This record gives sequence, structure tokens and C-alpha cells, in this order.
Amino acid sequence: MTNSINEIEQAQVILVSGSNTTRTHPQVARRFFTAMDRGAKLIVIDPRRTRLARHAHIHLRIRPGTDIALLNGMMRSIIDENLIDDLFIQMRTENYTTMRDMLFGIDLAQAAAITGVPEKMIRRAARIYAQAQRSVICYCLGVTQHIAGTGNVQSYANLAMLTGHVEQEFTGVDPLRGQNNVQGACDMGALPGVLPGYQSVADPGVREKFARVWGVELPVTAGMTLLDMTHVPDSAASLQTATPAIRAMYITGENPLLSEPALNSVRRTFHQFDFLAVSDIFLSETAQVADVVFPAASFAEKSGTITSSERRVQLMRKAIDPVGDSRPDDWIVRELARRMGYAMDYDSPAEIMEEICLVTPIYAGMYHDRLDREWGVQWPCGGRDQEGTQYLHKYSFTRGRGRFEPARHVEPAEPVDSDYPFALITGRLYFQYHTGTMSRRTPILERESDQPLLEVHPEDGRRLGLRQGCRVTVVSRRGRCRFVVELTDRVAPGNLFTSFHFAEAPVNELTVEASDPVARCPEYKVCAVRLEEVETC
Amino acid sequence: MLDSFVLDKDHLLPLLRKLGKDYRLIAPVRNRHGDTLFTEIHDLDKVEIDLEHQPQSSLKPFFFPQVEVLSLYGLDRDAVSGATWYSFYPQLPENRPTVYFGVRSCDMMAVMYTDMIFLQSSEYDVYYARHRENAIFITIGCNRPFANCFCNATRSGPFLEHGFDIQLTDIGDRFFVETGRARGVRLRKQWSYFFRDAAEEDKRAQFQAALEARGLFSRLVHVDLVTRILARQKEPTEILAELSARCQDCGGCAYICPTCTCFTIHDQALDEDRGERLRTWDACTFSGFTRMAGGHNPVDPERQRIRKRFLHKLLHDVEHHGRTSCMGCGRCVDICFGGVDILRFIEMVSENETEPEETP
Repeated sequence: MTNSINEIEQAQVILVSGSNTTRTHPQVARRFFTAMDRGAKLIVIDPRRTRLARHAHIHLRIRPGTDIALLNGMMRSIIDENLIDDLFIQMRTENYTTMRDMLFGIDLAQAAAITGVPEKMIRRAARIYAQAQRSVICYCLGVTQHIAGTGNVQSYANLAMLTGHVEQEFTGVDPLRGQNNVQGACDMGALPGVLPGYQSVADPGVREKFARVWGVELPVTAGMTLLDMTHVPDSAASLQTATPAIRAMYITGENPLLSEPALNSVRRTFHQFDFLAVSDIFLSETAQVADVVFPAASFAEKSGTITSSERRVQLMRKAIDPVGDSRPDDWIVRELARRMGYAMDYDSPAEIMEEICLVTPIYAGMYHDRLDREWGVQWPCGGRDQEGTQYLHKYSFTRGRGRFEPARHVEPAEPVDSDYPFALITGRLYFQYHTGTMSRRTPILERESDQPLLEVHPEDGRRLGLRQGCRVTVVSRRGRCRFVVELTDRVAPGNLFTSFHFAEAPVNELTVEASDPVARCPEYKVCAVRLEEVETC
Repeated sequence: MLDSFVLDKDHLLPLLRKLGKDYRLIAPVRNRHGDTLFTEIHDLDKVEIDLEHQPQSSLKPFFFPQVEVLSLYGLDRDAVSGATWYSFYPQLPENRPTVYFGVRSCDMMAVMYTDMIFLQSSEYDVYYARHRENAIFITIGCNRPFANCFCNATRSGPFLEHGFDIQLTDIGDRFFVETGRARGVRLRKQWSYFFRDAAEEDKRAQFQAALEARGLFSRLVHVDLVTRILARQKEPTEILAELSARCQDCGGCAYICPTCTCFTIHDQALDEDRGERLRTWDACTFSGFTRMAGGHNPVDPERQRIRKRFLHKLLHDVEHHGRTSCMGCGRCVDICFGGVDILRFIEMVSENETEPEETP
């Protein structure tokens, strides 16, 4: 997030895209409500009529995967009505002429046809967003989990720069992160091309800095993405020449045999491993096929930090001792390293954090003793005596000038057709968390939500003879899966929605492997399916 | 007439130290992270008893824990016939004599309410009774009500007239001490050398403090008006629908509420043949609370999710027990994600509502 979460309360316009915020980020949604109580306007972009969409002043119910077309339409409309922020564009951005020329080629009628949103509504939303002083964009995985995910995000950035809605308090572009510490994992270099603090592995200076601290030579090339590691193409495996096949894997706190797209392909890849080690707090679907399982301690049994969406690094304190033979993750990793002949000699998580402060400029002031006294600190924070950063890009963008990156509409990888006439959207439910490793073991959460529900529009239901609560098989080109029907107008006719929490209905048997070419983020959000074997009820 | 005494503040800690020898001592303790919670005290010199802040949780978890083992069960087998059956072995909680110190009026009133639910209704709850039977309460009046407090409007504070064993009032360098129920009287007599009889000026100071406290509430909350409106008029369905739509379904209000007593029971397997039967807190705002086996839910979550909660507190309990079961502690106001708290409901119902004259 370029802003802080609390700033949202002061926004005049909130544009929410691809986020079922009341369900997935209730603490952010409460700020939306507070802002609306103060008169803010809410624009929701979502193929589903979520609860938030029902509170919205404008709900742009796009066809799945048509964000770019919609945003280009909005930006064209903003240019037409001369609502752009000239001064901001001139002083802070570059590549505007390319952007403008591209937008001049955009036809609003066509944008309306692609997105399914009436032209008038596109114009209205554009006007409301552009005219306000303090407009905030919040987006979530509905924007990123598409083959055009990068283009989608760039388009939201374009929109914000075009209207000067960034670099200031109460206005900016705010991705809502999907898990409590996914921001922290990215910050610490759990990405293929960067070391902690987004320092590029391609930079020799960076490599040298880390090599001095760690006493080892670092690889020059970027690593592989999760998708590439878990979906080795069949041909490469059989030839065993082109791509160096992965022989062993160590997975910690992740359940790819349920969470990765196109599970068939994941299973095939895992079969080729000589060795698999998994550490998790419960025996997940992935842990069940591992050669070695390390019992890990839960969040309450260890100390450390988590970094939230607003870049706030917070100390999490151990509440109870690890149960049974479980061990904190850092202990497991250090012991593994030691037995592999590399001594990781740290006495405490605080000592590890000291090293992070030393080598990671944006985390330079995040010492545990300091975090202990304050309510966390927001990065970048350049040193112990420095305050954190409430909002990003003040005075100038991190890269200097903000660059407009024109994007064009890309159709989803698998369009619907007469054989597979439904677009299946996947997402999350309120009472379950990811693959349910934890939440499905919690009785009251399980009582609230214990069935793999498939949202079907009542019209489609009537046409196909589906009743509330009956079972139906969903078939895609890759697999089949059985769900319980929930008739609801949350989904549009022709769309289906379900979650990936339930091992008994692993929806990722159905999803596509296609991904964004830059970020390699899979297109979880849309694949083509049909319904079969309706159980009469 | 209550007996009244004075306890010098200097003598509080020595008194608690004496009590700690015979009783488990529970008091609001400020921990190093700045949270004030009712905590069992093992060493009085190592903790900071905090009477300046409202404890973040009430006493409810001590008498009605969030998760409680009701019984163990296991598979038994007849050695001769090979027949198997499940046997249940009830687990009663401990009932150590306990002094709860520094209890606010609202929380004391809440305990009296839960007593009524668990002990005086048709089903006598043995688990609650065990937790409750050897408890002594030393309460403290609130000289300065906290930001969201409205116990004046629910008639449950800021000072108590009954229900406590001992009630303290801060009057400067000393506490004004009133003894209420028999246990409090006995306790005061047992440690009589800590106390002296209250003089006229002490009584005046107490009266003054209690009077001033009533003027220090920052919110004007029309609880009485709303209970009358709810009793007389049709259900405010539109207000309930508007708030239900904003409710984020977290159950936090019921969990933090000192008078919410709903629970659910489930079994947790320990291994193939054995397990525990547990009860855990539940909340009427959850869909699963009313959803039936076939999937039908008589409560429309979108429009009625919070209906039961507010009507129970402000209408049904007034009908059944003669008073609201909201004690005005204000904790649910702090905890609510969506701004669907009881103050907002009261405000919305009482807004634009001028009390009509009683007409024959």
C-alpha cells in the first residue's frame, strides 16, 4: 500500500477492484464504512455483487478479466472531459504521450462491449474518481490473478498518475495483501529475482554485500517462480535436458497440492522428485506425500515479526511454549543448515533481525527492542532513530518519475465456449483460510462454513434444474470436482464462483495453468467449465 | 444500612498479600504491552495492579470459559462378549476460593445476571456453579467513567448499591469501604485491623465522588427511551437491516460481552478411541447459530443478523427479568469492526423520536 490503512477513512472516493473486502479484509472494510459515513463515494469493480458492491454508489460489474478495457475506457473519458492533472503529469511522470496516444485509440462503446458495463456508468465512475481531491484505489487478487495481472496493476497506476491521485496523504494505490505476512515474505526476498529489501540479484554490488555477511558466493541468476517449480512441463521431464529438473524440494508452511492451479500438473511434477521435505503445523495434503515432515510451531509458540499490507513491521510475541515436539521455523532452518555444513549461529529472532537491519536499507531501523516499544514501524525506515514512512512516493516516486505503461485488453486464457459455457471464478470465504490447514480444524469456523459451495445464478439454476443444496459436478478441460449448489445473484448469469478451501472439492483440479508472463501469477480467477451429473434433490 | 469503613491506600497491598495466602487473587493487571486484563496474581511485587483503566475483558471467562471440557469420553469394551460402547466421564472444574479484586460495577452486575441464567433457570449449570461458588468480589466504584461507558443509562453503575461483598471508593489517599454480602462482612472482620470506621467527612467524600462521577459520562445514551420504544412500537426492521448489512460477522461483540452466555457443544477427538466433549462460546450473529440441518435459516443473515442481539438485550430481557441485560460497559463499542455497536442502535432508534405523551 502506498497509504496507511487509517488514511482510507479520510478519502473522498474509494475505488475498490477485485476485492471482496468485507470478507477478506474486514479491518480495511471498516475504514470504507467510516469514510462513507463521512460522505465518501464508493466505486466497486467486481464481476460479483459482493456485499461491498451492494453498499457501493457505483458497481461496475465487469466480465471477469476485463479490467484493462474498463480502465482504458475510464482514462479516455477523463481525457475527454479534461479531468487530468496536468501539473502532476508534467512534474512527476514520463511516457505520457505514448499513454495519451494509446488512449486516443480507445473507443468507449467498444470498452462497454468488452466489459459489459454501460458506457454511461464508465463515464460516471471516471468523473467521480477524477474530480475528487482524495481518491484511493484498493485492489486485491481479482486484479492480479489474471494472465494480464501486470497490465491490470499498471493500468490502475496509470489511472492514479493521470489524475495525480498518489504521492499524498489520503490518496494512492493500495494493494491489499492476501495473508498476514505475505508482505514480509516479499520484503525478505521470497521472490526469485531479489534479495531482502527488493535488492536485485543481478546487481554485483548487492551480491557482494550479502556475500560478505553470509560468507558464501551468491548465484548470479534469478531463481525460479513457484509456478515454474511446481509445474514442470511434461516434455522437459521426459527429455531431461533443456530445463534442469528439480530433484528435491523443501516446503515450509505451504500446501501446493491444494493451492496451486492445475493440480494434475503439480502432482506430475511432485512425482518426479527424489525427495520432498515439508514443515507445517498440521499434516497437510502436501505433508502427507513428503518423505520427511518437520512439525513446526504455530504463530503463538514463537517470536518474530509480521509485516502488514501497510508496510508495518510488528513484533509478534511468543505466548506459549511449542507444543509437543514442534519447533519454530527458524530453529528448523538453522538445524538443517548446520547439518548441511553451514552454521547459522543466531541465538534469537532478535539477532536475526539485527542482520536484516544491517543488509536491508528499507528495514534498517527495525530492531526488535524498538518494535517492542511501539506499535510497529512502517518501512522504509532508514535507521534506529528514524520514523517509519506513513505513505510512499512523497515528493517523488521511488524510481524517480512515474512511468505510464499503456496496456491493452487481453482476453482470459480460456474463454468460454459451447462445450464449457461457464466462467468459473475462484476466491475465498470468510470463515475458512486458504487450504483450511488451520481453519478447518476449528469447530466453530467449520460449523459456519463446512461445505464446498458453488455460487450459481438463479436463472442458470432454473435453466439447468438446479436446486439450492443439490450436488453438481463441475468439469473443465483438466479435471472434475463436485460441489454443493448455492443459488445467488452474487454471481452474474454465466459465471460461477467457488473457493479453494476444501480438500474434498479441490477446485484447482479445474483451474488453468496459464499465468501472467511477467509476474508468473496464475489465472486463478477465470477458467471455462460446464456442469454435469446434477444430483436430483 | 451498609457498614462503612476506611482503608488507607498504603494498606491495600499488605491486605491483598494477606488475602493471597488464603485465596486465589484475581485483579486487573497492566502487562508490559499496555493491556489491562483480569489476571491471576502469583506475586504481588512483580505485577502492576491497574485501577486507572477499564479491564479489556470482563470476569465472564473465569466463570464461563471460552472453551471448557465438560466430559471425557472413550470407547469401552466388554472383554467377554467383545461388545463396545462409549462411556462419558464428567470433568468438573476446580472451585478454589478466589478473591476478585478491582471489579467495576458493570462487571459485577453482569455476574449477577449470568448467575440468574446459569443457576436460577430450569437447568442448573454445575460447571458454572463450581467456578462461582467460592468467589468473593471486592469492587471499585468508577470515579471517572471511561470513554464508551454508559452504565448510568443502564442503571448498573458507576457505583453499586448491592451485589458486592466489599465495595471500595477512591477518596484521595484512602478508600471508602462498604461491606455488602455476608462474605464481605466476614472478610472485613477477619482483617479488621486494616480498617477503621468511616468518619462523617469520609462519607461526605464518598457521596461527593459518586455524585461527580455521574456528571462525567461523555455520552448521553437513551436506554430507557429505547426500551420503551421497542416495547411499544413495531420492530425497527429497517434499522436492523441497515446494521445487519454492515455487520462483519466476527462475533466479537458476543465474545467480549459480559452477559452473552450462548454456547455450543462439540467433540474433539484425542485419538481413535477417546475424546473430549467441549463447550465453546457461540454468538447469535453467526449464521450457523440458527441454520438448520437442511440448510434453511429462519434468520435472514443479510437483514436480521443483529436482530436477536439487540432485541434480547433491550427488549426480551426487560420483559423477562425487568431490566436490560446490557450493563453499559461499552466494550462492544470498541471491538466492533463495522460500527454496528449497541450505542449506534440505541442512537438510531431514539433519533427523531420524541417521547409521545401517554394517552388513554
